[in-house]
Amino acid sequence: MNKGVFAIGLAVTVPLIGLLLVNIDRDPTSISSPLINKPAPDVRLMELSGGASVQLSSLRGRPAVVNFWATWCIPCIQEHASLTAGARANPDVSFLGVVYEDTAENARGFLAQRGSAYPSYADDDGKGAIAFGVYGVPETFFIDAKGTIVEKYVGPLDGDTLRQKLAMARR
Amino acid sequence: MTASIGRGLVLLSLLCASAGAVAAFAAFLKKRADLTTIAVRASYGFALSMFLANVWMVAGLLRNDFSISYVAQVGSTSLPTWVKVVSLWSSLEGSILFWGGVLAIYVAVATWSLTEAHGWAKPAAIGSWLVCATFFAFLIAGPAQPFGTVVDVPTDGPGPNPLLQNHVLMAIHPPFLYGGYVGMTIPFGIALAALITGRLSPTLLGTLRTSMLAPWTFLTVAVVLGGWWAYEVLGWGGYWAWDPVENASLLPWLTGTAAVHSAILTERRGVLKGWTLSLVIASFLLTILGTFMTRSGIFNSVHAFSQSDIGPTILAFLGIATLASVLLLGFRVDLLKPDNELDRGASRDTAFLAQNLLFVLFTFTVLIGTVFPLIVEAVRKVQMSVGRPYFDRMTIPIGALLLFVMGVGPALPWGSSTREELKRRLLPPMGLGFAVLAAALAYGIRTPWTLITLFFAGYTAWVTLFEALRPVRARMKFRTDGFLRAFAQDLFGPGRRRMAAYVTHAGAVAAFIAIAVSSTSGRSLEQSLKQGESMTLGRYNLTFEGIERAEEPNRTSMIARIGVKKDGKDLGPLRPMMNQYMTNREAIGTPAVRTGLVEDLYLSAMNIDEETGTVGLLVLINPLVSWLWIATVIMAIGGLMALFSSARVGQTVEAPRDLQAEPVR
Repeated sequence: MNKGVFAIGLAVTVPLIGLLLVNIDRDPTSISSPLINKPAPDVRLMELSGGASVQLSSLRGRPAVVNFWATWCIPCIQEHASLTAGARANPDVSFLGVVYEDTAENARGFLAQRGSAYPSYADDDGKGAIAFGVYGVPETFFIDAKGTIVEKYVGPLDGDTLRQKLAMARR
Repeated sequence: MTASIGRGLVLLSLLCASAGAVAAFAAFLKKRADLTTIAVRASYGFALSMFLANVWMVAGLLRNDFSISYVAQVGSTSLPTWVKVVSLWSSLEGSILFWGGVLAIYVAVATWSLTEAHGWAKPAAIGSWLVCATFFAFLIAGPAQPFGTVVDVPTDGPGPNPLLQNHVLMAIHPPFLYGGYVGMTIPFGIALAALITGRLSPTLLGTLRTSMLAPWTFLTVAVVLGGWWAYEVLGWGGYWAWDPVENASLLPWLTGTAAVHSAILTERRGVLKGWTLSLVIASFLLTILGTFMTRSGIFNSVHAFSQSDIGPTILAFLGIATLASVLLLGFRVDLLKPDNELDRGASRDTAFLAQNLLFVLFTFTVLIGTVFPLIVEAVRKVQMSVGRPYFDRMTIPIGALLLFVMGVGPALPWGSSTREELKRRLLPPMGLGFAVLAAALAYGIRTPWTLITLFFAGYTAWVTLFEALRPVRARMKFRTDGFLRAFAQDLFGPGRRRMAAYVTHAGAVAAFIAIAVSSTSGRSLEQSLKQGESMTLGRYNLTFEGIERAEEPNRTSMIARIGVKKDGKDLGPLRPMMNQYMTNREAIGTPAVRTGLVEDLYLSAMNIDEETGTVGLLVLINPLVSWLWIATVIMAIGGLMALFSSARVGQTVEAPRDLQAEPVR
């Protein structure tokens, strides 16, 4: 028996297969976006209640959090409280909700019922979602004061994760 | 009813494969030729029933037989016939069935090609193939069963993933990929047979080489076709993104290329037997790893099929196959004694070795980059992506060195040589290297790595041409034949194998040039245009002329008609489009590419708005991209020439010694 061959073979293959085994339940949707470290798409969004519209580039100068959500999305309901609390605790950050594949009416009802601390915008024809490359909801983009996307988070945010990502956007 | 016939065929193939595997290994252990015959028949039985199961599924897709679960899942009455046929491999269950079908063809041909001259390696190899066949038949019969019976038969189905319906390459890329991936099973089985019998005879080595060249050729084409598909369909303007699934197709190609080369050294000099077998085995294991990566859903990619539960099953197979391979290598590799010392001077031996080590280094670089996010996630619980910068930084120098070795290696003689001879062989090709370098500088290329690569490309092109024509020149000199006659004699005579190698190298040089220039010297511009507005990039002037609509049974397309002028000369319109498929919410873009030998003009519509009459247009000028496609055709031709060249040339070095060796049980 060739001990060297045996040892090298095991040293290469066992960690690799072990690694795959550990990751067998990995959630593949949480890949990073090609938009990271790129300027945020400069989309124009209409306020839900038919009020003012916002051009995303006008928010430069302070960090921003853009959260794509929908009323039919269960994880969005889960993360709603953390986002609301986060927006209240961080008045120096612009929080924006963007409604994805849903009606403005549904969204208004949802916010009336659960409360809100920041404006949400309609995304007619999903142009904003396409520009941000949204796979599904919820997805949250963290944008720094220069308007660069520094982080993307897929799935429901909790308070700790939100704080951690906000720290990146503030840097 | 129709579904159960399919299930029956799959079960029959499972039975044949498993029984055949048992018979084959029993034949080897007990040295009984009658059991080998049974194993051969079982192998054909597996191949026939698995092939028929595929035929049955295609028939079901064509007849819109929605009582078969897979047809109900991916079929649709509104599909064109070609989409119905290729739906066989458009989704998970069907693609595993297709894997089985390709394996059936390979196993049948490989079984047929084994003769008595292979000795007891014959049942050992058949047994190894049938163990793999058993696994895939089991996968099809159980976890990925495509022949489920649908009780409430629907009248129509959703059709396959629209991204995959979007281009005809969908019909071509997967068969080539499977031809490469699945085909690696055959050399793997032969490598295991060599380890099991403890002997790598010249006959077996010849079979190993041939069986390696077939999947290598398929895989070469498949890797590039995947890039072509991305280029023509995905619309971001490039052909390679170091996506985990692209890497999965590249990994076995890298080790496979190394194996094809080290097999030459083994054949000519009787050295590196265990190393060659290890590379062959690694190529197969990497195809299974790649399959796991695409099917387990732990990586995200356009290629990744919807989440499925066959991931653990494939991982289990990968684990068992790896362990078995490592054990066999560990216990048996010392039986394969080298016939010669490896030459360590400035000789072709050394170049082969350097090439091999570089390819292995390349493999590890890509492998680590692909799985590194998993490592970081497992250790630090944070998300990260290695991404393009890592791959580019690491692989560009390795690639450039490989190109250099491809030039220096064939210029070096076998065995030792004098300093004067080395100078005479190694210095003249630098002429073409400097010429290409000067041309690149004149063209305006300033990226250092591109310039280095182009210098090596010129060097290697010279060596390749010079070496390819060396026997032709000899013929012309000694027999005073004309060039064409000498060339034809070489091509259709004993020189074909040598010619094949240099044709492949020529293709590789072209590919290197295309990749180096296209990835560093392109230009791009993104702009929003209203109807009638124009934009300019380089020598091109683009005018947004208007929006057109096209209705097809399965999709509606919105098309931006862009008038293209180059240096003021009208080249006619290009039509990038957005396709809305009936069955999907999101529109999918199709870029429009004007392909040229010097550069491509690439237009991709980011959005088309009918109301405001605007289009968001991404415009790229990609130089030399078409040379990558041409290079691949050349490499494939080289691979085919090698496949159909006599495997017996140059084997005399090893044969006598090996025939004297005691067969080891």
